[in-house]
Amino acid sequence: MKRSAPLFACLLLTGAALGQTPGSARQAPTARSSAPVDLTGYWVSVVTEDWAWRMRTPPKGDYASIPLNAAGEHAADTWTEAEDGSCLAFGAPAMLRMPTRARITWVDDQTLKLETDNGVQTRLLHFGPSPANSSGAPSLQGGSHATWQIPNQVTDRGENTGQKSDDAWAPLKVVTTNLSPAWLRPNGVPYSANAVLTEYFDRFADGDDAWFVVTTIVDDPAYLTEPLVISSNFKREANGAKWAPKPCKG
Amino acid sequence: MTVRTLLGAATLLCVLAAPVAAEVDLSGEYRSIRHEDVPDRGPGVGYGDYSGIPLTDAARQYAESWDAAQLSMPQQQCRVHTVTYNMRGPLNLRVWEEKDPRTQEVISIKLYISTYEQTRTVWMDGRAHPPAYAPHTWMGFSTGRWAGDRLIVETSHIKQGWHRRNGVPQSDHTTLTEHFVKHGNQFTHIAVIRDPVYLTEPMVKTQHFELIPRALPKGAWLWPCTVVEEVARDANDVPHYLPGKNQYLASTRVEVNMNVPGAGGGAATIYPEFAANTTEPATPSNRPDASAIAHRAVQQAPRHPPVSATDPIAIFPIRSNIYMLVGGGANTTVQVGDDGVVVVDPKLEGASKNLLAAIATLSTKPIRYVIDTHVHPDAMGGNEAIAAAGSTRTGGVVLRQIGTEVAETAAIIAHENVLSRVAAPTGKTAPTPQRAWPSDTFYGARREFTVNGEGLELRHLPAAHTDGDTIAFFHRSDVIAVGDIFSTESYPVIDLARGGSLQGLLAALDTVIELAIPDVDHEGGTMIVPGHGYLSDEFDVAEYRDMVTIVRDRVQDMLKRGLTRAQIQTARPTFDWDARYGTESGEWTTAMFVDAVITSLQGGAR
Repeated sequence: MKRSAPLFACLLLTGAALGQTPGSARQAPTARSSAPVDLTGYWVSVVTEDWAWRMRTPPKGDYASIPLNAAGEHAADTWTEAEDGSCLAFGAPAMLRMPTRARITWVDDQTLKLETDNGVQTRLLHFGPSPANSSGAPSLQGGSHATWQIPNQVTDRGENTGQKSDDAWAPLKVVTTNLSPAWLRPNGVPYSANAVLTEYFDRFADGDDAWFVVTTIVDDPAYLTEPLVISSNFKREANGAKWAPKPCKG
Repeated sequence: MTVRTLLGAATLLCVLAAPVAAEVDLSGEYRSIRHEDVPDRGPGVGYGDYSGIPLTDAARQYAESWDAAQLSMPQQQCRVHTVTYNMRGPLNLRVWEEKDPRTQEVISIKLYISTYEQTRTVWMDGRAHPPAYAPHTWMGFSTGRWAGDRLIVETSHIKQGWHRRNGVPQSDHTTLTEHFVKHGNQFTHIAVIRDPVYLTEPMVKTQHFELIPRALPKGAWLWPCTVVEEVARDANDVPHYLPGKNQYLASTRVEVNMNVPGAGGGAATIYPEFAANTTEPATPSNRPDASAIAHRAVQQAPRHPPVSATDPIAIFPIRSNIYMLVGGGANTTVQVGDDGVVVVDPKLEGASKNLLAAIATLSTKPIRYVIDTHVHPDAMGGNEAIAAAGSTRTGGVVLRQIGTEVAETAAIIAHENVLSRVAAPTGKTAPTPQRAWPSDTFYGARREFTVNGEGLELRHLPAAHTDGDTIAFFHRSDVIAVGDIFSTESYPVIDLARGGSLQGLLAALDTVIELAIPDVDHEGGTMIVPGHGYLSDEFDVAEYRDMVTIVRDRVQDMLKRGLTRAQIQTARPTFDWDARYGTESGEWTTAMFVDAVITSLQGGAR
């Protein structure tokens, strides 16, 4: 099925609904009200992978496991320990890789705000048309365009009831561009201004715990031989009691 | 609000939450994308790096005692990474669906993993997981369901493995939940690993796979393994380091730049708060090493309900005409055929009615033989009733000289030492009635005969669990009933008062390992019916043997160093396994096991 078909069907259905109940457009679902899963709240990263590269600044030249090309290695080798702690380690492709807490809130009906206490960074995830910050001056967090990846209501694989539940599945897809050059790792492993960041936020439940896993795909032919694919795990916390902002340098 | 505005809002809504095409069939061939944990998932990390693992103190001690030379042991060479770990290897993955041709319903989803050539079956037909006493396998038993377009898989019955290949153990109590989430031509595999024995909290790991655009060569899918004699060593030579004696821990950490707080792992090290500690140099006080932990958390294994004669009896088929019957006492092995029924270990006395009812569902033939693996009442308590329900096929001189009585019951076969324990000299009162005594005993090391078309070998294993232990090897079925020399539920019971010993027990376990021949990948093949617990294979027995051997070596070392019995108990030489096998109350406590080990090593009964 092509993407245009459900879009057309969606428009038809929406139009029919509008025609049947005049005035109901005021209650039309927004990105916020139609969110199939609830990502808001406080979350803590649980560092069970790449511990040696995330919980401390790795030594210069340690770019193992990242598919860097020669230009990328050359750039990484220019890093100095004096730069440790720089905000360049907290760009959009890397900020959720750091050991951090995340706070996710709705700014308005079509914008999610994602903040981290480590590095004190803020990202705005815009639903709808391309966000304003997807053009103009590049920035550390770039411009992020978000969509809910809602599966067809009924598929061969089972029914999606459309209700919010921990068992529901609908990733949040976020594509981020217009990034200023920064680092994939705190030791200066680079990404370029042309990097495109694609993320999928998948929430799931495990017993009494809620989790989301963010799959991070960084496509940067300038410095990578293939897209970097990693994922980071976050567990929900009851409140912000452990929220401890720690600004980065610069 | 104008119509244009309304339509604009509708368009916006449809863009915000656009349905994606229903591309949820996972079928295809994938490569693993390995941009995370590469040292662990590729060449492997060295001793002492447990970073990122919320492991228990017991797991840490286990890992620090582990010697990579263990991998040269025959039972270890072809061991497969269990399902909790194998999805993390440098693997190629093939996924396909098995459908009922009549209904096109998906019965199962199959996953072929090139690493160790493992095939997983994820049952999609709603079947239940098997009972606790079913065998454990490398890939475990998996059921799946779709939640929207996400495949959720639950896996149980996983063999013992490792959370990291440098010795961090994964227990056979581990369960796994997986989420397969497809994103375009890739999918993210989220694994939630729960190990109540060796992890303090669930461990979440993720992997990534990408569809392969072109077929890979055959060799990319193969991973054969053949056991060879790598090192000549005695059966009871299990390479390991005594606690605190692994001289490579510190040096390896330095070599790989991991001599940092947090290298020792633990739940406290995987949360952001710990990152502040990583700028400090590692010291014994800030890096959790097993030997540096003054007050280690002592765990106990989940308590198994006490054996009761009134328990329902469950039947578990092993192979065509042989079954394991569980409940009401020790595990019972039943073989049926044209000759009649063979019953190994007829359970507690009070369970006989239920046992006979269960046997009746398997065969209408008479019970011909009752075999006692040892003297304890949970195994041989049913002798009288079960034998009385059967008969012996005999005639001629036997009937003339002994009388027809002999034909009216099944023969009860056991080693002579069992009879000695239950009988009494003339004029004395025997602990059990005569009709419950073995009627057909043997003195030597072996007895063999053919029944129901297959050879049955009885082997006496001296001074092990008791002094009258026998294992029953059904050759064609390739099944060995081993009685209480092996249990998946507790430390081995060494009944010193009835002639048992640590040395005999280890020799008995070695004998079982020697007799058993595993199938490919060191799984299955000869099946082992333990006295208690789940149906096992050679690898399970070998892990158990290794555990007992390491405990022996530790206690032996403590005795050499002059530690008293009380000091040895305080040192907890079983610490690594207490959460798996230990208990501080009941009929066979951890302290009783350690006490029996000490006594055996000191040369006899207390």
